[in-house]
Amino acid sequence: MRARLTAKDWTGVRAVVDNLSPSARTKIVRHGGSADGSEQVLREVLDRDPADGTAAAMLGHCLIDIGWKARSSYGAEHVSRDQFKEFHAWLRQAEAVLIDGAARNPRDPAIWAARLVSARGLELGLAEARRRYDRVKALDPHNLTAQFQMLQQLCPKWGGSWELLHPWARAEMLAAPPGAAQGVLVAEAHIEHWLELPAGTRTAYLNGASVRRELQEAADRSVLHPDFGRDNGWVEATSAFAFVFSLLNDRRSAARLFVLLGELATEYPWQYLGGDTAEQIRNHRRRALAGAAR
Amino acid sequence: MIKQIEIDGVPALLAPAAGAGHAGLAFRVGFADEPLARRGITHLIEHLALFSTGVADYHYNGATGVEYTFFHMHGSADELGEFLTAVCTSLRGLPMHRLAVEKDLLRAEANGRSSGPADPMGLWRHGARDYGLPSYPEWGLPAITEDDLRDWVQRYFTRENAVLWVAGDEVPAGLRLDLPTGVRRKPPAMSSALPVTPAWFPGGSGVLVWDALVPRAPRSAVFAGVLERVMFRELRQEGGLSYAAHAAYEPVGVDHAQVTAVADALPDKQGAVLGGFVDVLAGLRVGRIDEADVAAVVKKQTEALRHADEQGARLPGQALNLLCGREVLEADEVIDGLRAVTAAEIAQVAAEAWEAGLLMTPHTRADWAGFTAAPTHSETAVAGTSYRSRDTPDEKLIVGAEGVSIVSDTNRVTVRFDDCVIMRAWPDGGRHLVGADGIVVFVEPTLYKGARDAVERLDASIPAAVRVEQPARDPGQIPQPVQPVPGTAPSASPRPWRRVIVLALVASAGLAMTSRIGYELAHDLVDVQTGLVGLAATLAVTVLCGAGAVRALRTR
Repeated sequence: MRARLTAKDWTGVRAVVDNLSPSARTKIVRHGGSADGSEQVLREVLDRDPADGTAAAMLGHCLIDIGWKARSSYGAEHVSRDQFKEFHAWLRQAEAVLIDGAARNPRDPAIWAARLVSARGLELGLAEARRRYDRVKALDPHNLTAQFQMLQQLCPKWGGSWELLHPWARAEMLAAPPGAAQGVLVAEAHIEHWLELPAGTRTAYLNGASVRRELQEAADRSVLHPDFGRDNGWVEATSAFAFVFSLLNDRRSAARLFVLLGELATEYPWQYLGGDTAEQIRNHRRRALAGAAR
Repeated sequence: MIKQIEIDGVPALLAPAAGAGHAGLAFRVGFADEPLARRGITHLIEHLALFSTGVADYHYNGATGVEYTFFHMHGSADELGEFLTAVCTSLRGLPMHRLAVEKDLLRAEANGRSSGPADPMGLWRHGARDYGLPSYPEWGLPAITEDDLRDWVQRYFTRENAVLWVAGDEVPAGLRLDLPTGVRRKPPAMSSALPVTPAWFPGGSGVLVWDALVPRAPRSAVFAGVLERVMFRELRQEGGLSYAAHAAYEPVGVDHAQVTAVADALPDKQGAVLGGFVDVLAGLRVGRIDEADVAAVVKKQTEALRHADEQGARLPGQALNLLCGREVLEADEVIDGLRAVTAAEIAQVAAEAWEAGLLMTPHTRADWAGFTAAPTHSETAVAGTSYRSRDTPDEKLIVGAEGVSIVSDTNRVTVRFDDCVIMRAWPDGGRHLVGADGIVVFVEPTLYKGARDAVERLDASIPAAVRVEQPARDPGQIPQPVQPVPGTAPSASPRPWRRVIVLALVASAGLAMTSRIGYELAHDLVDVQTGLVGLAATLAVTVLCGAGAVRALRTR
């Protein structure tokens, strides 16, 4: 799809995107606009047809991504005033596109999901983020891309709290059918919590009885569930649980998930371990598979 | 059928009405005509004119609004004739012996009146002049003299600047409108304090208020109605974000109208109310307009018009139309205009309104949504003698030949002498200056080194016409320097809002002045209001906005 976008083949892009489920479409729209030169192509599409919601959502993400590069992904304390200024200027541009896109396509979850990212970057607060998330949810109740965004919003680093995050993640999981990927929300919530703790206390946190129980429940309901399929989000979920079980030293469960993944994995959350992310994944996979074989 | 006649040189409208008769006399003068240093003069004249008619069993009242002042009464033909004749006689010879007492009464009235969330809007949009004046308290009262009153009457309360309406079968036989001769006074030109729109400023009340100037036309009235319906649905019913979500349409000047939207918000929902409101407006402006909403609004407004027509309640509005140089319209003509409005026209109004909008946010920022911050600082500072702050290291007062500034590292406010619209002066030396753009400078001699000298220079530079003496302050109210606590670093800006002050303080300090009319109609003249507009919802907006209901009289 990125190739078609770069080649200005908008009909071709829409042919890919339009046939997807709302959740899959949201995910593709989220990541599709990041090819070089996309901004210009998408602006031309929107000039021709301001009502094209796919173009609006992709252009919104494209502008957000440019802004986020200017900001860098470091914690706020490491971002300079000028970087924030540039970041916010790009996000305001994105928001202008997305306000208009949402006005013309109020029933497009991909646009509301994009507006979750801009809301977070512009620090519009929890109430506005929830309003946007509720719009997605009303249209597509288990939209994983939007859920990942809301999860970030609920983290303390973006104005949320652990007390809000963990119950939310579990509730979203329980609302989805057994075997769905939404168990990953519980895993990611604990991974984010783990990351914020001082080194030395992190493993103890994950090994705590209640956290272990919640992680096991979430894995049993998603990646380890007999109905867990190959729907949108399965790689994210499997990769996140492989990470969690690797850290918990539960090699048997980790191995099961690495087998499921085969050659696949996601960068998140492995990049939190530092160093070469692919190398980290390979090492943990090797260890898990070896441990499980014993 | 509305009949146009003339009585003693005053144009008049006569129409039959169900029930008891009523009549009113209106003048084209209101807050928007007053200089800030005489703010309150029209209201004071209205009170004085009514004093001599003060018989308790008359069902009468007077009201001062942004552009119009009127005297109104329910009763028999004889009573109506007697009342209005007496008002005119009073205007010719105001009971000046009542001046001090009526000033006190007005101050008491202002104290008892609560401020409305939309009160600050005028000040931010227009500054401390013409249509910004309704935002300000009646600060001119102490300075108003008998000569000022006589001049104001001579200028505005004349037969050429008046209109009469009578809801009944005939003009009261004994009615004599013996008014001075003068000229028709057009509504004042509208100033702007906003270099860029759409603009925003942070409110102090946690309520969102938005307004925009639109063409005075049926399509704009229907737009306001549709906006209210969508706000109610999205912000209240679906979002559960606001309890009160209203929009109102009010004519302004000759050819314009103002649409005002108000939405309250729980403290933890303020960001979402702003977001939801931005999306409501965006939806309308891109043309997502539900035909069912349009039909419902046209039906509601049509029914209100029919009802008002039966009661003779359209007459005041039509009389004001006549006074500002517009045609008198029959209800059917207005209804035809409403029914012809299309969704595309409403979208066009929404797009224009978006561009012209001013937003008071419920505390939150609004730059993310395409709004530009309204000015809170001056572009330049004057050159002159500096007086250092006694407690804020980087702050100084500057008095020059052309004006006065307070400057710090992060702020700069200037009032130029030739642009100063009021200087309130306290016996202790405190001076409060307001520029025409609404920027405020407080000069407190206790807070700047050597500032006695600064006050003398101010007093010599400010024209007497804009100086208003204030009663002595309680010693506890005179600001004193804040002594830094030993062992702590002095804060860069310990009191950012006290002296280096912007418009916001006037708005948020609970100086409970607002359009008197919204209040009076809500409390005393409910029959007129409900007869006119017919619907409790509109009344709620009037109360909520504290907006000039004399304008609401002119809605049709």
